[in-house]
Amino acid sequence: MTRGDTRTNAIKKALLIQSHVVHGYVGNKAATFPLQYRGWDIDALNSVQYSNHPGYGFFSGFQSSNKELTSVLSKGLIDAMKINYDVILTGYLPKGDMLREMGKLVGELVQNHHETKWILDPVLGDNGKLYVEQSTVQVVKDLLSDPNNRISLTTPNQFEMELLTDMKITSLECLKKSFHEFHKLYPTIRRVVVTSIILPNHQGEYISAFWDMTNPNTHPYYYVVPRIPAQFFGSGDLFTALLMDSMQEYNHMIEAVGKSLWLVIQVLKRTYDAQLKPNPTVIRDLQLIQCKDLWGKEWDEIPAVSPLEPLLFEN
Amino acid sequence: MPRLLATQSHVVHGYVGNKAATFPLQCLGWDVDCCNSVQFSNHTGYGMDKVFGNITKSDNLNQLLAGLFQNFPHDYEALLSGYLPNADSVRCMGTHYTEYKKQNPKALWLMDPVMGDEGQLYVSEDVVPEYRSLALSADGIVDIITPNQFELEILCGQKITSFTQLKNALQFLHESIPIIIVTSCDSKLFNDEGHIYCVASMRDEEAYVFRIPYIDSYFTGVGDLFSALLLDRVYNLLNDETSNLKFEDQINDVLNVIQRVLRVTKSFAPDDVKSTMGSIETMKQMELKIIQSRDLYDSIPSKDCKFNSAIKDEKFMVKRF
Repeated sequence: MTRGDTRTNAIKKALLIQSHVVHGYVGNKAATFPLQYRGWDIDALNSVQYSNHPGYGFFSGFQSSNKELTSVLSKGLIDAMKINYDVILTGYLPKGDMLREMGKLVGELVQNHHETKWILDPVLGDNGKLYVEQSTVQVVKDLLSDPNNRISLTTPNQFEMELLTDMKITSLECLKKSFHEFHKLYPTIRRVVVTSIILPNHQGEYISAFWDMTNPNTHPYYYVVPRIPAQFFGSGDLFTALLMDSMQEYNHMIEAVGKSLWLVIQVLKRTYDAQLKPNPTVIRDLQLIQCKDLWGKEWDEIPAVSPLEPLLFEN
Repeated sequence: MPRLLATQSHVVHGYVGNKAATFPLQCLGWDVDCCNSVQFSNHTGYGMDKVFGNITKSDNLNQLLAGLFQNFPHDYEALLSGYLPNADSVRCMGTHYTEYKKQNPKALWLMDPVMGDEGQLYVSEDVVPEYRSLALSADGIVDIITPNQFELEILCGQKITSFTQLKNALQFLHESIPIIIVTSCDSKLFNDEGHIYCVASMRDEEAYVFRIPYIDSYFTGVGDLFSALLLDRVYNLLNDETSNLKFEDQINDVLNVIQRVLRVTKSFAPDDVKSTMGSIETMKQMELKIIQSRDLYDSIPSKDCKFNSAIKDEKFMVKRF
């Protein structure tokens, strides 16, 4: 049986609430094709429709209204269509009140449907810069600290983790502290994954760290990942989507994170190698279509990021 | 790798418009840029009171396409246009696509002039002159058009009740458009009630008639899947360096893929389901199984086609004036 041959299984259903770009692969465009190819029925609710991501210097387009988003979700998908989702992922919702209203609806939904998992990608910004309304930061904090929300996983990047914990992450030691601070501030969040962390003492490498608190007495782990010397757009959105799929397969985050990282690394490498310009420093579009063969792989065909090992933080 | 821009509807749940077109085209290797003319919770077959969401305002659509073509003035090998909700949005898409075609004459534009079916308009009447002016443009900007019989009648301004009238309509439209596929012709034209007929005509070539089994169920999105696959197959035909591909085989191939997808879709539904408009559960079951059909979109050689829809003796020539 190949991946996506779902005749014998009920198809997995996910609702993804994040951005849409006409051109390129970020937000819903980064997540949808790989997940569909892996056999997911994807409902994509677009918070914005832009011509392309801002990394091109110029873009056009518009945001959906709060009313449009909330009525599609609550009157359409929930009340009229009564769709049972395995996962709801919320990502880029650029305004504080938009995220608050949508978060409230998703929170109520997962309270009423225990089989539905909520993945909250707290999209706030990157590389020290916010790209949402300032008020969104507090809304994310409120959503994460509300114990009724039953958030299964959250995937901040380094900058977002720093905002959520009010700590700068400049070393492995700080990173570990930030996880503990996160746990103190948001004690009901069971899984946190922070990818693409850049530390001064780790030239040429990324750190991707995670803590699965579903079992007691566990600790945060991290992977060391080779860094391709270029800025990529959409790799975080792709990672979160792949992690969502791999978590259906593996109970242990070590495997789920490791294998998702391996896939993302392959995509970045291939995309980098396919650039016409030598030594590009900015890569605007991942080659997701050209990586179709990767999406067709079963998870057990995918190595964990070997020879990288999940490492425990030193005491 | 070829890149395509598709402007049509987006539904959050289900498979019509861009949701029906995008995944199959991506599986075939296309980078698909999706411009959404609406964002609805689901398609209208669930009942109008069950549809939530918004149409893209024409100002917004205009800005979106203007920004897109500013950043990507030569990036598309093909353009696809489908459902647009009103005259403004048709005009807006038409203006931008026409401009792109002028700058990039080799790009292939498939226009599905979505207006209605079986005698009923489901867009407002002022959409009609917009599509007519694009389809009949003296510049010959549209390369492929996929009307159903009703839409063909609207474009040509004449009812079609005989085979001769059908030929005349094709001849009329070929003045401006090289490839015409009439996706569903009234079976009365062929004295055969149990089938649907598809007529494919390439300017200055013989036209082909295809007979398609009629499946008694209400599917939506079939036309959108058809136009997407057709664009892929015609693109391959026109860029075929081996010259082995034939127009009629490409059409037959598309019709075969559609049959396979419908068969997969039916196989997932309970045996006795004959869906009816407005019933949510049956409508949900009749959503095209676009994901489950993942491995069915590729071409298969015509000798391996289980179902051969081309009627060999029903070829006819559409003569130019």
